Amino acid sequence: MAASLALSCSTWDQLSSRSDDRPLSPSHKFSWVGTDHYRKALAIDRSYPPGRNDPWYWYVLGGKPTEPRFYTSLYNSLFYSVFAVPLGLCMSLIVAMLLNRSFRGISVVRACIYLPHVLGGVATIVIWSWLFNPQFGWINEVIRSAYALLDPIVRLFRQDGTTDWPVPRWLYSPSGCKPAVIIMSAWMMGGSMLIFLAALRRISPQLYEAAQLDGAGAWRRLRYVTFPQITPALLFNLTFSSIFAMQSFNEAYLLQNRGQDDGLLFYMLYLYEAAFEPPYQLGYASALAWILFLVLFVLVGTLLWTSRRWVHYAVGE
Amino acid sequence: MRMTHRRLERGIRYVVLAVVCAFILLPLMWAGVSSLKPLDEVYTFPPSFSLSDLQWTNYREAFTRLPVARFLGNSLFITGVSVIGAVLTSSMAGYVLARVRFRGRSLCFLLVVISMLIPAQVLLVPRFLLYDLLGWVNTYKPLIVPAWLGGGAFNIFLFRQFFRTIPPELEDAAILDGATMWQTYWHVMLPVARPAAVAATMLSFVYHWQDFLDPLIYLSDFMTFPISLGLRMYQSMAGTWANLLMATSLIALVPVVIVFFLCERHVMRGLGVVGNRLTEPA
Repeated sequence: MAASLALSCSTWDQLSSRSDDRPLSPSHKFSWVGTDHYRKALAIDRSYPPGRNDPWYWYVLGGKPTEPRFYTSLYNSLFYSVFAVPLGLCMSLIVAMLLNRSFRGISVVRACIYLPHVLGGVATIVIWSWLFNPQFGWINEVIRSAYALLDPIVRLFRQDGTTDWPVPRWLYSPSGCKPAVIIMSAWMMGGSMLIFLAALRRISPQLYEAAQLDGAGAWRRLRYVTFPQITPALLFNLTFSSIFAMQSFNEAYLLQNRGQDDGLLFYMLYLYEAAFEPPYQLGYASALAWILFLVLFVLVGTLLWTSRRWVHYAVGE
Repeated sequence: MRMTHRRLERGIRYVVLAVVCAFILLPLMWAGVSSLKPLDEVYTFPPSFSLSDLQWTNYREAFTRLPVARFLGNSLFITGVSVIGAVLTSSMAGYVLARVRFRGRSLCFLLVVISMLIPAQVLLVPRFLLYDLLGWVNTYKPLIVPAWLGGGAFNIFLFRQFFRTIPPELEDAAILDGATMWQTYWHVMLPVARPAAVAATMLSFVYHWQDFLDPLIYLSDFMTFPISLGLRMYQSMAGTWANLLMATSLIALVPVVIVFFLCERHVMRGLGVVGNRLTEPA
């Protein structure tokens, strides 16, 4: 049922993505504009050579995009995913391996680590934005006290005795906002942790015993037994975290307009603005959605295609 | 030698886990501390974790600045109705996909799995047009009705996998006793599938409680806002009362925490099973 709904919507979408822009009104008349919306988003003005202050990817594109915010948002979302996904997966894998042993209080610790994944949403974003407050937030207070500890040591090596340490302005600066959001995303890694944990639980102890009999040390057991056995879980987590990361919207929407100069203009925020803020370019927004879908399709396709090389499935189960 | 090695390993394990737990809990504790400070102490420099006195009146004040109680009520209504619908319809769909034989069943299941991979955002605009056409904008229908139509592919998947693990003899016995398909589902299968139902309940509760984008698009009347939109309003106007903002955020988290701890055991197990199923080759 859900699937048929989804499919019917996609065809509907195909129609509207080629229709004309119009304000929100009951008049649902489509007019065909062909691939204009796609061209509008992707067009590049090749007569304009990128200058020194322009983003580096303009060199790759070979000119100035006519719709610069499209590429900015795509770049921001990709940047966020490229850092947030591996960070979250590494952390969750390490935690899952530590939790894959029974000890006192394990259920409390496990629940505590999974909790943020459940909490996520507006309230936690609001809380984190207060933590990241440059002046009154606790994170910068920790950084400042670390500086205070390091200060005397550095002073020994510096003649001029500088005390002026840079304190990040996090969400209030174009360069600090993305790291802040990436740290925030690492906080919510519980979901992938649970998948890894389930995969680790399934590895049969006999494999380890056999490896030990063959004289494999701890590292080799990790490399040749544990890692191949959890590659299916890794593939799953990688796929879904990338999709979610590319689609993240709430962080960007709630934390925008703090002087980040489009630093947090994520793709979904750009799409939302196109569709639901004047002049309500629903057609253009649909084209954007399809571009995102294609990007994700290529991403997931590549992952699945290369997975034949590195994902190990247990044979004969 | 071996003993010290063991002990060292255990020590490292505890230290790392303690650090991770601190990373997870400190933000919440910091929010708790901030929410109990008087306004002038929140904005003192340098910030501190210490409290001179606990100002519990912040919580009362948080409720009066904006109709927070109203927002919570709205959220509870939307979430409650959606969760009931999602669990009911997804368990039915899961049952049919697991047990009832009909032509094209595997195709149906394949479509459900594929629909998990389609980004929800691709459907954002067409769904809006559809609901606009139906005259549902600015009502709760766009938020609730989809939950009653299948309740999400993931939940269907969860139930299907669970029903498949139930031995068919149980069902055969019911059918021999003359039960119809509906009776078998309602009196036999659903009670057995309780762990899956608990997991699905929690997941859809969390999903609907946190949902921000859909209410943002479909609701514009202030008094109909759920708590997620209410918090957003608070945030935009309460830049100057961080303590009240933290208090409201924590209030918004309370129902989720309660539901989580009620269902935690089942969810951990249920998700683990589904996780392993999903990562297997098709």
